[in-house]
Amino acid sequence: MLVYVIRRMLIALVVLWGVATIVFLLLQVIPGDPAETMLAGSGASEARIAQTRQDLGLDDPLLVQYGRYLLNALRGDLGRSLYSNRPVILTISEQLPATLQLAAAALLVAVILGLSLGILAAIRAGTWIDQTVMGVAVLGVSVPVFWSGLLLIWIFSVSLNWLPATGADGWQHLVMPAAVLGLVGAGPIARLVRASLLNALRADYIAMAQAKGLPGRAVVGRHALRNAIIPVIALIGLQAGFLLGGTVVTEAVFARPGLGRLVVDAILSKDLPMVQGVVLLIAAMYVVVNLLVDVATLALDPRLRQ
Amino acid sequence: MGTVRPLLWKCWRLLVFTLVSMLPLLAACAPTSGTPLLASPGPEANDQPSQTSDRLVYGLTLSPSGIDPHINASAELGIPLTGVYDTLVYRTLDPQKGTGEQFVPGLAESWELSDDGLTYTFRLRRDVSFHDGTPFNAQAVRANIERIADPDTQSQKAIFLLGPFESVEVIDQYTVAIHLSAPYAPLLDGLAQVYLGMASPAALAEWGPDYQFHQVGTGPFKFVEYVLNDHLTLVRNDDYNWGPAIYDHSGPAYLAEIEFRFFTDPASRALALEAGDADVMGELPPLDAARLRQDSRFAILPIAIPGEPLGIMLNTKQPPLDDVRVRQALLFATDRNAIVQTVFSDESPPATGPLTEVTLGYDPTLAERYPYNPDEAMALLDESGWADSDGDGVREQDGQPLVLDAVLMTWGSVPEVAQLVQSQWAEVGIALRTETLTYPAALEAVRQGDYHIVPQSFSGSDPDLLRTYYHSGEPFNWSKISDAPLDNLLDEARSISDPARRIELYNQAQQRIMELALLVPLRDPVNLNAASARVKGLRFDAHGWFPLLHDVYLEE
Repeated sequence: MLVYVIRRMLIALVVLWGVATIVFLLLQVIPGDPAETMLAGSGASEARIAQTRQDLGLDDPLLVQYGRYLLNALRGDLGRSLYSNRPVILTISEQLPATLQLAAAALLVAVILGLSLGILAAIRAGTWIDQTVMGVAVLGVSVPVFWSGLLLIWIFSVSLNWLPATGADGWQHLVMPAAVLGLVGAGPIARLVRASLLNALRADYIAMAQAKGLPGRAVVGRHALRNAIIPVIALIGLQAGFLLGGTVVTEAVFARPGLGRLVVDAILSKDLPMVQGVVLLIAAMYVVVNLLVDVATLALDPRLRQ
Repeated sequence: MGTVRPLLWKCWRLLVFTLVSMLPLLAACAPTSGTPLLASPGPEANDQPSQTSDRLVYGLTLSPSGIDPHINASAELGIPLTGVYDTLVYRTLDPQKGTGEQFVPGLAESWELSDDGLTYTFRLRRDVSFHDGTPFNAQAVRANIERIADPDTQSQKAIFLLGPFESVEVIDQYTVAIHLSAPYAPLLDGLAQVYLGMASPAALAEWGPDYQFHQVGTGPFKFVEYVLNDHLTLVRNDDYNWGPAIYDHSGPAYLAEIEFRFFTDPASRALALEAGDADVMGELPPLDAARLRQDSRFAILPIAIPGEPLGIMLNTKQPPLDDVRVRQALLFATDRNAIVQTVFSDESPPATGPLTEVTLGYDPTLAERYPYNPDEAMALLDESGWADSDGDGVREQDGQPLVLDAVLMTWGSVPEVAQLVQSQWAEVGIALRTETLTYPAALEAVRQGDYHIVPQSFSGSDPDLLRTYYHSGEPFNWSKISDAPLDNLLDEARSISDPARRIELYNQAQQRIMELALLVPLRDPVNLNAASARVKGLRFDAHGWFPLLHDVYLEE
């Protein structure tokens, strides 16, 4: 197990290097010049813009810029934002907690809702309960957050005055954002749990268990679900990654700080070090989550351990 | 199969473990104390407001990535920081009316301009100190101006407000001179803006590049902290006793504390206001503003913004727009009333020229120049040799259809406006091909010059801003115009100080711009602010964007 984890961590390093390189190249390809964006409309002359470009090191050969970026990143220095001249790492560490809170709370909602709805739909397959639950799942995925978020604000903040509409000061501020984001994540989990569980319930060992006279709860819980859960764990891992990077609209609707808004603003203003820093961090978190998923799968599936 | 514990149990354990390990994160966001969003009303509720313990929450539309006024350029940073800094002079609140006094004393009691127009001398107030106790004097002014002019500061806006700045000289402890290399009439306008606000030299020296998180001015409010995307907090400066005449009252501000929060999603701004999450909110979508107008709990404060209107710049180097008749046809073919009505719910006036109606030097005679007149547009197109010979609805000349390429950006409802423009121009036989880009990408596309039209809008209180977009020597001259008479007008108007003569020259420049048909003006921007009806005394300065927070109080 240890060897496996170490090997996976080495692979993770290679993945991160690849991500860093791709992000670097992508930012070169996307049109737009940071110096010009920064000075547009301010009365700056052509010469002044050229000077700024040079000061920012944007005139250096691509390879030099790439080398400088990698070396600094290896030393843990992600550079300074072009706009705030503040170390990127400081800004990221300031915005990260809000994103982690939202992603964790939304994942909690997604997993609890997804698992319970999925199991319910599977054991009542073909009934109206199944159809209703699957309808809700589809609705959860297809209703956009910018709409469901506003709806919740209108109901629970403006009309009922139960919850604060915006901000990130306490757990009350987390309820609605986690609910709308969690609902999006719950849909796919519920569908997969249902499909996977139905598949498992058709297996011979289930017929065997039933023939032995085991009660339905034991059949589902002890025999079917433990086989059905493996692909679900992988999906939850993917969802976690999605939630880390996919919080931008939720953050905007509920006026929350976070990485999503940070990176979108940075991309729109061509703040290269900021974009690189945030993307690298999200990639790193993705890699870690994936590693956790693999270890979890290994722990849950004895066949893989042989 | 051995007697393994049920796998479901294991799975449950892992789930619990994962979730429990996340709990500290969730716990971290639990409230530390039960602070309500809005503080209790002030101790006394007389007709005469006084210093209260009231707290105001003010909603901004974005969280500026850098907020050092000497360095960064966004308008949003000025909304909170106008309360933190005083400026040497202040612009009177309705400068567009007449040619009277444009500026009133601020930190400078009086000032004079040398006969050659190259030296401004300021006599400073002697009773002012910064929030950190540092005395305000001529050395402080020098430290500020020199910081802005230092190339290492990388100023993105303030340095350009100083124009042809040469040096700053301390004459005595309370007299300071700014020397220019060429006469520059807009200097006082620049000095009246928060970007040239006076910061404590001690704080500048202490914090260096981190100064933006530790700002110290002389204004009615002290800077407390700024957390990106979350909040920016100010508290009252109880020693403040040197406010300019544009403020309604002297002495310290009424409010004890102001918290600025950031609402990037336009759709949730009105809801946040209704939910009580904010007391003031900027840039409401027009439909939400119309809805809140019907609600007595709120007041709508529409503020027209001086500067250049939202308009479409026409690239005079790209055929067929090198023909002035075709450009004029575009002006006649555009129904700006319909655009303002449809996209902006009649909340902003249709634009008529390169300056908005509330801008100093605005020429009202331009209003009649290009009324909506499709017949006139078609006549001009016929005259310039564009005709629809194959009957497909699009005109052509020598087999080439009349297709224009537009570089669009996502701000200011530009995509929605472009749809209407597209259908209006189609009626006279012009096809519009649009490409919507991010701002940096649009700038690059424009620099490469391969476009016919590009949207533009720019706020500013001195008509010298026309220079940025219409002078042949400027990099953002997007109509690519090179017209000697226009250059001369803009050059002369920036170098003379007689306000009446300047306005005359800017009138001529505006007429020249419209004669050359460099711009299709569409809409005068209006900032639709909304506030809880409790908020009293909220007014905005001459730049339109910046609230005079000093006079604001809450009624109970």
